[in-house]
Amino acid sequence: MSEGASPIPIGSMVPLTGPSAADGAEFRKGIVLAVEEINARGGLLGRPLKPVFADTGSQSAEEVVAATRRLIETHGVHAVINGYNIGPQNSEYEPIADAGIIYIHHNTLLQHHDTVTSDPERYFGCFMGDPADYWYGQGFIKFISWLRDSGQWRPSSDRMAIVSGSKPYSIVIANAMASVASQFGWRVALGPRIVETPTTDWREVLGEVRAVDPAVVVNTHFYAGDLAHFQLQFMEKPIDAIVYLQYGAMHQSFIDIAQDKGVGVIVSTVIGLLRDEMGQRFARRYFARFGDGSTPQVGCQPYSAMHHYAIAASIAGGSGAPGDVAQNRKVAHALRNTIYRGVVGIIRYHADWQAAVPYPDLAHDPSLGMPHLFYQVRDVRRDLALIAPEPYNTETFASPPWIKPR
Amino acid sequence: MTDRGADDLLGTIRTGLDAIPAGVAVWSGERRLAYCNRAFREALNPAPGAIHDGMAFLDFLRLVGRSNEWILPGGADEWVAAEEGDFGVDKSHEIGLADGRTVEVVQRAIAAGGMVTTVNDVTAVKRSEGALRRAKEAAEATDEAKSRFLRAANHDLRQPLATLKILIYGCMSEQDPEHRADMLHAMDIAASVMEDLLGALLQIGQLDAGRIQPRVTTFQLAQVFERLAIQFRHQAQEKGLTLRFVSSRSTVTTDRALLERILSNLLANAIRYTELGGIVVGCRRAGRALRIEVTDTGRGIASEHQERIFDEFYRIPDNARRQKTGLGLGLNIVRRLGDLLGHPVTLRSVPGRGSVFAVTVPVGNVWLSDMGEPEISETIGGEFVGIRVLLIEDDDVLRQTMKQLLERWGIEVLAAADEAAALREVGAGRPPPRLIIADYTLKQRTGVAIVAAIRRAAGIAIPAIVVTADTEPRVVAHVREAGLPILIKPVSPPRLRVLMHNLLFEPRLAAAPPANPPL
Repeated sequence: MSEGASPIPIGSMVPLTGPSAADGAEFRKGIVLAVEEINARGGLLGRPLKPVFADTGSQSAEEVVAATRRLIETHGVHAVINGYNIGPQNSEYEPIADAGIIYIHHNTLLQHHDTVTSDPERYFGCFMGDPADYWYGQGFIKFISWLRDSGQWRPSSDRMAIVSGSKPYSIVIANAMASVASQFGWRVALGPRIVETPTTDWREVLGEVRAVDPAVVVNTHFYAGDLAHFQLQFMEKPIDAIVYLQYGAMHQSFIDIAQDKGVGVIVSTVIGLLRDEMGQRFARRYFARFGDGSTPQVGCQPYSAMHHYAIAASIAGGSGAPGDVAQNRKVAHALRNTIYRGVVGIIRYHADWQAAVPYPDLAHDPSLGMPHLFYQVRDVRRDLALIAPEPYNTETFASPPWIKPR
Repeated sequence: MTDRGADDLLGTIRTGLDAIPAGVAVWSGERRLAYCNRAFREALNPAPGAIHDGMAFLDFLRLVGRSNEWILPGGADEWVAAEEGDFGVDKSHEIGLADGRTVEVVQRAIAAGGMVTTVNDVTAVKRSEGALRRAKEAAEATDEAKSRFLRAANHDLRQPLATLKILIYGCMSEQDPEHRADMLHAMDIAASVMEDLLGALLQIGQLDAGRIQPRVTTFQLAQVFERLAIQFRHQAQEKGLTLRFVSSRSTVTTDRALLERILSNLLANAIRYTELGGIVVGCRRAGRALRIEVTDTGRGIASEHQERIFDEFYRIPDNARRQKTGLGLGLNIVRRLGDLLGHPVTLRSVPGRGSVFAVTVPVGNVWLSDMGEPEISETIGGEFVGIRVLLIEDDDVLRQTMKQLLERWGIEVLAAADEAAALREVGAGRPPPRLIIADYTLKQRTGVAIVAAIRRAAGIAIPAIVVTADTEPRVVAHVREAGLPILIKPVSPPRLRVLMHNLLFEPRLAAAPPANPPL
């Protein structure tokens, strides 16, 4: 790196306070580690990157939009790269588009497709580093059909019960599951039943679930604590069904509350840290830098996106400050056209949606899509068992303890 | 000429003969080899010295017989005996060589009971002859396809065409509207018969020309069943037949469009030849494959016709009398598409009881199942998909713009320009909308009043949003007093989305909204 080369400011909107602060801290670490690695190897064409963090608190639309404006107007960031913010519903795209900079987030929202395709010229810089929530639905239906068709599990019936949280993310996933279920031989006997969340009291809806005696029980709400209570209340009177809980059940706090009652639960993520050699080496670097209590499984998201951005900006001949639309268009072009294999698998942006293409939900070639990973809680003291898809799985499905052997 | 001069001349002749591409051999009256040139020896590819001057003709024939260099008609011994018998007889014939070449062997008698044999390589000539023949065959096949088309046109298109002409003339002079409607209906049927015939001929034409290239993918069979059900439901109903698809959860790997074509031909046939009862489409697992069966309660097919019905233009004599609409091509298309895809097509049938036509396809990997959706957007998967929203806006342009925005989110929009139109949307047993979006400044009444009227008509407090360009404090206060959230025009889509979401799914959040939502 040349002496005195001016640093490039890179913004990151992370919930450092509020309910998602634990994830926010990891998103921050992911950016810090990536920037340190990039700078150690000479930065972006000789210029060091300088991360600037803005707290999004409870992730409401006004907090996130205010953070976006602050990063652009006060710090002149060339790009905003971060994990997820639940609340803004794409409203933060407006200041990004006005400034003509690059924005890579992991909000996992189908709305992204619609916003970007509604005006591709205006939203050229907006990228979603993971696949949309929609794919959880289709992917899960394929997953249970695979368990059934490959003889790993014999469902007691073709009935499903789908419970949804009240956030758009949960509703989209529940709708997607319901819309494709019948084509794979499943009947939605209950739902999508939308429950206003957050809540820890699931007994009423669980009563409705038990009444239809399903072979599959789904809850698409995603708060770890709420899901742990759902599972505990399910276990008060378990039925002969697979239980799938959305994303949040991957968190340690789910296990902390559900304890042994959580064993057997299925959970998935459309973006996660792989357990191959690359993933393990990253995890070791992460622990070495931030301590054993840190969570590389979360930090890996912006970490991968940051590296991908640096490569794309180098190919484009450099990054662009707010207003330098021509240069940032070149960066966007390079992002769309450069497939990157990170520690989360492949990042390949869909040409129209500008969202990562999922494997095997959409791409059938693992070298062309980000793996949708399915886990099972196996032993509360061990990591989750990664059971699908091939070639990333390290373990196989085991019948949940509450299902009677047939 | 001196002996030396004669020897020189002989030497020159030998050198000259060795240089020509044709093989030449001269046999004496004693049936011994007097002379052969290099090309003759090479035509046999023998061991060095195997063919030599003074060699007996019979030994030469045996050498050829054993060598396997010439592809001889029949057994080697018979050939040797026949050729031995033909010594000195003028004749010529073509022989294929083991290396793929073709030679023409000509023998002519010469003086003193001898014989000369020439061997000419005619491979190039034969190849161009072959190419010519193939071209001719292709031309004849095209010709055959054309005449088949004409034959079919003559027999099968003529009848509906004639019907159509009569009906058209009848229609021109018909005064009674009821009769006229009947005739138009009959014309419609005649036209669709012709359409079907032309469609079948086109498919056969494409198959003949080898223009159909399968594109194999993995998909859910249920998708194909769904499309077929829509396609054939009415035809079956019109004949009073039941048509049932046994729901399938199977994933298959084949060409989606061609499989659909196979099944639609089988279904069309089943409906055509079934008068009572119905048709069931279902499948059975057969090892790693899936047998898709179309079972009908039709008249059945006698065993002597069961193979022939897959032939072009074949119609069971009895059926041909009774049925004028079939061209006898459907099953031929099925068989040929099955061959193209490598999917066996089978038939089981008992006359008087019905038939089961089946096509067997490979089972696919469910992970690779292609849902066939080119665009994943909120129109198909958003949080608002299928939700009915009543939109009241008197400005045509704004109403249309807002309708488009809402439809992009998958919403079913009931658009109304005024109170009367809005009330029609909630009347007469229709399910009430889940949400109302009303403009404040409507021609006769305010949006607030109309919301109240609609809620009264529907009998429930449907959640509602009022939209206005008028930021007068008086207007805002009026809307707030009615307990309704307000959005200022031009409406920001994210703002509208958040408000709609809260009203529909998170009423706790909507219950205490800021007067003007933040975004």
